[in-house]
Amino acid sequence: MEDDKDSELISPPRVAKKDALDELDSKVKKYLRGSGADLEGLKDKKLRGQLAVREDLYGKSAKAAAKAEKWLMPSEEGYLEAEGLEKTWRIKQESIIQEVDILSSRKAFDMILPDLGPYTLDYTSNGRYMAVAGRKGHLAIIDMHSMDLIKEMQVRETVRDITFLHNELIFAAAQKKYPCIYNRDGVELHSLKEHGATLKLQFLRNHFLLASINKFGQLHYQDMTMGEMVANYRTGLGRCDVMQVNRWNAVVGLGHSCGKVTMWKPTSSAPLVKMLCHHGAITAMAFHPGGHLMATAGQERRIKLWDLRKFEVLHTYTGNAKSLEFSQKGLLAVGNGSSVQIWRDQSGDHKYSRYMSHSMVKGYQVQKVAFRAYEDVLSIGHSMGLSSILVPGSGEPNFDSWVANPFETGRQRREKEVHSLLDKLPPETIMLDPTSIGNVRPEKKKKEQPTKKESEAEMQAAIAAAKSAPLKNKTKGRNKPSKREKKKHEGIARVKRPFLDQQMKEQQQLLKKKQRISDDSQLPKSLRKFVPKLE
Amino acid sequence: MQKMKKRKRNAKAGKSVKGGRGFGGTKSGGPRLPNSLLSQFPVLKPHNGGLGTDGNAGVDDEDINSDEGEIGGLDVYEYDEPMPEEESMKNRRYDHVDNFEYELPEKFEDSNVPSDDGEEEEEDYRGFKDIKRSSNSDVLSGNETEEEEDNARHDRMLQRITELPAEVFESRPQIRNVVSEAYLESEYNPTRDILDGSGHLTIQDLLNPIQGKPVYTEFRKRMQRLNKKSLTLQPPLPKVAQENLEREVAYARSKKDVTKWEPLVKRNREAPTIFFDEDINLGFSTVGAITSEFEPRTDFEKKMASLVHDSKVAEAHKEDGAKLLELNKISLEDVKDRQNRLAKMRSLLFRHEMKAKHIKKIKSKTFHRLLKKDKEKRTSIDVQMDPEAAKELAMKQEFKRAEERLRLKHKNNNKWATRILKRGLAIQDEQTQAAISEQLHQHALLTRKMNSMKDSSSGEDDKSSDEDDDDDDDNLDLGMKSDMASKLLTKAKEKTFEVMEDEDEMPKSGVFSLPFMTRSLAKKSEEARAEAKVALEEYDLALNQHDTDVPNNRNKGTSSGRRVFGASIKQPEEPSHVNNNIGRDSDDEDCEINKNVNVESARSVSLQKGVQIDIDQLNEEFDVGQDFESFDHLVRGNAPKTTYESAVFASGSWSGKKNPNVAGSTNRKPTGVAQHDSSFDNLKDVDDNDDPESGEEMVDGILSSSPKPDYELPSQADLIRMAFAGDDVEQEFEQEKIEVLNEENPEPEKTLSLPGWGQWTSLQEKYGLPSWITEEHENAKRRRDEALSKRKDAHLKNVIISEKINKKAENLHTKTLPFPYTSKEVFEQSIRVPIGPEYNPVTSIVALNRPEVVKTAGVIIKPIKFEEVNPHEKGSEQNLNSKRDTPKVKKNKPNNGKVIKATKTAKKKS
Repeated sequence: MEDDKDSELISPPRVAKKDALDELDSKVKKYLRGSGADLEGLKDKKLRGQLAVREDLYGKSAKAAAKAEKWLMPSEEGYLEAEGLEKTWRIKQESIIQEVDILSSRKAFDMILPDLGPYTLDYTSNGRYMAVAGRKGHLAIIDMHSMDLIKEMQVRETVRDITFLHNELIFAAAQKKYPCIYNRDGVELHSLKEHGATLKLQFLRNHFLLASINKFGQLHYQDMTMGEMVANYRTGLGRCDVMQVNRWNAVVGLGHSCGKVTMWKPTSSAPLVKMLCHHGAITAMAFHPGGHLMATAGQERRIKLWDLRKFEVLHTYTGNAKSLEFSQKGLLAVGNGSSVQIWRDQSGDHKYSRYMSHSMVKGYQVQKVAFRAYEDVLSIGHSMGLSSILVPGSGEPNFDSWVANPFETGRQRREKEVHSLLDKLPPETIMLDPTSIGNVRPEKKKKEQPTKKESEAEMQAAIAAAKSAPLKNKTKGRNKPSKREKKKHEGIARVKRPFLDQQMKEQQQLLKKKQRISDDSQLPKSLRKFVPKLE
Repeated sequence: MQKMKKRKRNAKAGKSVKGGRGFGGTKSGGPRLPNSLLSQFPVLKPHNGGLGTDGNAGVDDEDINSDEGEIGGLDVYEYDEPMPEEESMKNRRYDHVDNFEYELPEKFEDSNVPSDDGEEEEEDYRGFKDIKRSSNSDVLSGNETEEEEDNARHDRMLQRITELPAEVFESRPQIRNVVSEAYLESEYNPTRDILDGSGHLTIQDLLNPIQGKPVYTEFRKRMQRLNKKSLTLQPPLPKVAQENLEREVAYARSKKDVTKWEPLVKRNREAPTIFFDEDINLGFSTVGAITSEFEPRTDFEKKMASLVHDSKVAEAHKEDGAKLLELNKISLEDVKDRQNRLAKMRSLLFRHEMKAKHIKKIKSKTFHRLLKKDKEKRTSIDVQMDPEAAKELAMKQEFKRAEERLRLKHKNNNKWATRILKRGLAIQDEQTQAAISEQLHQHALLTRKMNSMKDSSSGEDDKSSDEDDDDDDDNLDLGMKSDMASKLLTKAKEKTFEVMEDEDEMPKSGVFSLPFMTRSLAKKSEEARAEAKVALEEYDLALNQHDTDVPNNRNKGTSSGRRVFGASIKQPEEPSHVNNNIGRDSDDEDCEINKNVNVESARSVSLQKGVQIDIDQLNEEFDVGQDFESFDHLVRGNAPKTTYESAVFASGSWSGKKNPNVAGSTNRKPTGVAQHDSSFDNLKDVDDNDDPESGEEMVDGILSSSPKPDYELPSQADLIRMAFAGDDVEQEFEQEKIEVLNEENPEPEKTLSLPGWGQWTSLQEKYGLPSWITEEHENAKRRRDEALSKRKDAHLKNVIISEKINKKAENLHTKTLPFPYTSKEVFEQSIRVPIGPEYNPVTSIVALNRPEVVKTAGVIIKPIKFEEVNPHEKGSEQNLNSKRDTPKVKKNKPNNGKVIKATKTAKKKS
């Protein structure tokens, strides 16, 4: 048994040079991001030469990066190792805490808050701060380094969800009637009344969008920089209280009571994907940080893992889950009832198996599980407060201060805020496959008939163009105002005509269709031919 | 020298001979005698020599010849060529021309040219001039006896002259058929033997004369050598072939020359980056450096330089300014002069100014008029005198005209004129009126067509139109009443009618009665008539407008549109008909404008009378009733609403007549609308009935949802939610998917025929639908299936993937495949790796982002230099860690107190 802190000591020695080379190769592969084009098949010699040079450069760069990784990312994640008949999931938290260093052992705790109902929680992206919300209006922010309570307050209202916005200074809480935004000092900055009685909140960090789903199954996207409502879509699938963001592509996934999972982006009123995942209602879902793996739990006692590239089930497990969460390193926490299980992908083929389990006092009901980034800690919000357990190998051992810095100073935070605002992505960059950005535009299908609105707009534009079209200065007799006016009107009428014709045609078609339907159903066959035909 | 001599002799002989004629050096004035003749005098030579002026042994044959010719009296061909003036050197009138022609050396001995046979001669002659021969041959044969006699006489003559015994002369061979050449032998007139190549001149012949001379053996040896390997000289190749060969050779050479650059160029081409910053010595970098290099070149510069570099000045500068003043001396006269000049100029200017002021102050019109006239006169004189000025003036005029036509500045639509017209011309004082009329006149002048006299009819038309336009304008400016204008217009109309009638009369006789002429005339007249019609329409329109415009502006409505109509009725039938049409058209056209007014009016009417008037109905009234023409115009003329209404109700007949109709229409209309609405309602009902799924579903849900076995005490809300969740989610989902698919690719309509079609007989029903309908249906189905199979979710039963393309996101994609790429995959793979600093190690960023050409500004790119390059060497190595690659490393270490370093490499921001 070992954990991350002393993993370096006992880590398998690099026996052969070959192994090291293999490792390097695999890392290089990671940085190469796929293979280059098949240069032999290229006919263009010049292009071939250029691409060959490019590929060479890429290879060198990747190699350099892989080599640097050795020095820049020295730590490896730890893991639990069982000896003999021991099972890793039998190992209790107490025994883990005994083994680890004092600093790490402090990270496991239990906080009993019996009064203010089941707790939900959220971490900042660097894992330093935790926001806690009790169902009955208890809000708090805790600095997890020093375990300081930064702010605690009681809003005297149902609070259903809480989420940090871009940093720890601001957070949003989904309250009874609408979500509100507070700052660290507990001052209410905004109340987002348009969102309605929100059930879940999610913040899209790179796009600065706050996504919410309310009681009526309406999905809202609000821009947190300018405050404008980016999108407001009704899902049409009823009340929904399962929402997760796929951090890889910022697509929002919703789990519905009909067993469907829908995925949304702010620029499309129809869901990108609608899939029937379970026969029962969806109770929880989670996305792997890699973006290609999704876990869903249904009320029919199934937990499924999905490959999001193929939209196919990878594995189906039996079990209930109130809350699901993937860790940075891909561990899956399944919270159900008063126990939490942690699953792990042992062999790397997404075949998750039990890795750890933790059961709390009987009667506690898990509300939310959340892994802390860059730490091997899992926090559990439950009906009697919060608890935190150590899960070796869950967090990323090396952090990138350009991405998230757990030891951020105030100055760095400010700097980062500005940078992230400058790097804010527009909402249309959200798509199922963000790597396709920059690729050649997908071929358009043949244009369908323009919608009514479009054709209307087109007509208006045409009329405006005809109106503003300059008239020729004709010779004396023909340049009178009346003539000019007449010509203008003629021009407008001419422009209008095709649109009006089209409209009339459509209307008639519609009428004809309806007529036909009614005819067919009502009249006996012998009389049908006497029905006056339209037109 | 020889020539000089000869000249002397020639002069003595009283003959002028042009020297150096032909290659043979035939310097005689007369024609060259055939060799056969020449060879008759071998014996005479020495004697002749005695006769010659110089008793030289090497006297030319020619001299002899000529002499002989003189002596022998055989000067049949002799002609006297005067010495060219150029050579006479008289008065030095001609440039001295050196004679570069070949002159025989003094000691030259003419070779013994073998004499030609008489036979050959004859043949030669025959061959040379066939025609000549045919004419001469009989003469020759006829003259044979005579010639013998001649010969005898000749001999006798020789005997007498030379005082030699007759045997000498007898012994020479008798050549009977001596035929002399008809033409002078030259390169243009070759003899026969030369032409057919039989009489070749051999080298031996040429060598013989110099036998025994010291050079002879040498020549002979050389000749022998030559003869041994005698090769016939080929004629030179044609020029084109020669040039081709030359080019080939040149190409091969230059190819070889150029290929040495190939590896060099190839290397440069293949290099991803070319560096031009090796030589960054830019030469001068400071102003001082540049100025120090300056060398005075022009005189001025030199002068300046001498002053600047004057040692005295430099010294003065160095020490203090006092000496500079000394050096800077100006003479007193200069200053005075300058002052005087300036004063003079100033006074002149002042005087001129005063004069101008004075003139400007003069209020006398006559003075100004005279001034103007004077000016004009001057310019006109200028124009007359100077064609340039005239041209300029014409240009100016033309420009003015064009400008006027463009800007219409002098028309009455500028601010001033409109204001005045709006106030009413009649109120204005005379001057203003005059000014306006003047302006219009100007406009007319400037816009008048210049050359419009193509044919009489159109010219007349133009004139008339001009006239009436002018009249129009006049009317406006002189504040004439509208009657006048209408009168004028009607007059114009009448005139056009007259013209039209005139045209109808066809000439019955003369040239114009010819069929094609009549045809063309008819055509012309047709055109003219059309034109006239157009003109008429315009008049009518103008009339209408005039009528509508004018009465609205005036208080009393004495001259209304009706009056004009009355006038127009007097016109013949056709135009009135046209007029009606126009009236209607205008009504239609104005419909939209009128609508607003009409609506308002209608509303007001309804308020007052409590009767609803349909807008269309109203419009119809306007169309139908000619009585309301003027009324309509009233509307068009933007008359205030009150007057309009009053006008409506003033004409009691209208309201009285039309009211019932209107009422009827109102009665009819609403019911129609109601019917329409009800029909819509019906449709809606149908719609409602049409989607039964929702209702059914609900019922189904209630009926079929049963609680799961393993659920633990759900809340009330959960219970309800679960209760409505539905059992057959899969089926429901399938249904939904089908709907989505149908929305994108609608299912082809059922093959329904039109009711009644193909159902007349039982037979038709038996055979069913015609094949083409079913085929079409099948095709549509197939197409749909294909489209569906192309979807991403085609084989996924439980997934619907939206195929909608986001327009906004389209901008994030590359529109078209960039040029060198031909396949999408290759392109996409080539851009897969990000090259920004966030994703790559510092060492490779520069290499990844290096431009194609690295060059610092200002560096001169020198032409490529040759250097040895190994062509088989692999392309230039891209060294990541080269000297150039040292970039500025951002100092941005997180001071977090932890040992772990952050990497900037390849981390996805999450």
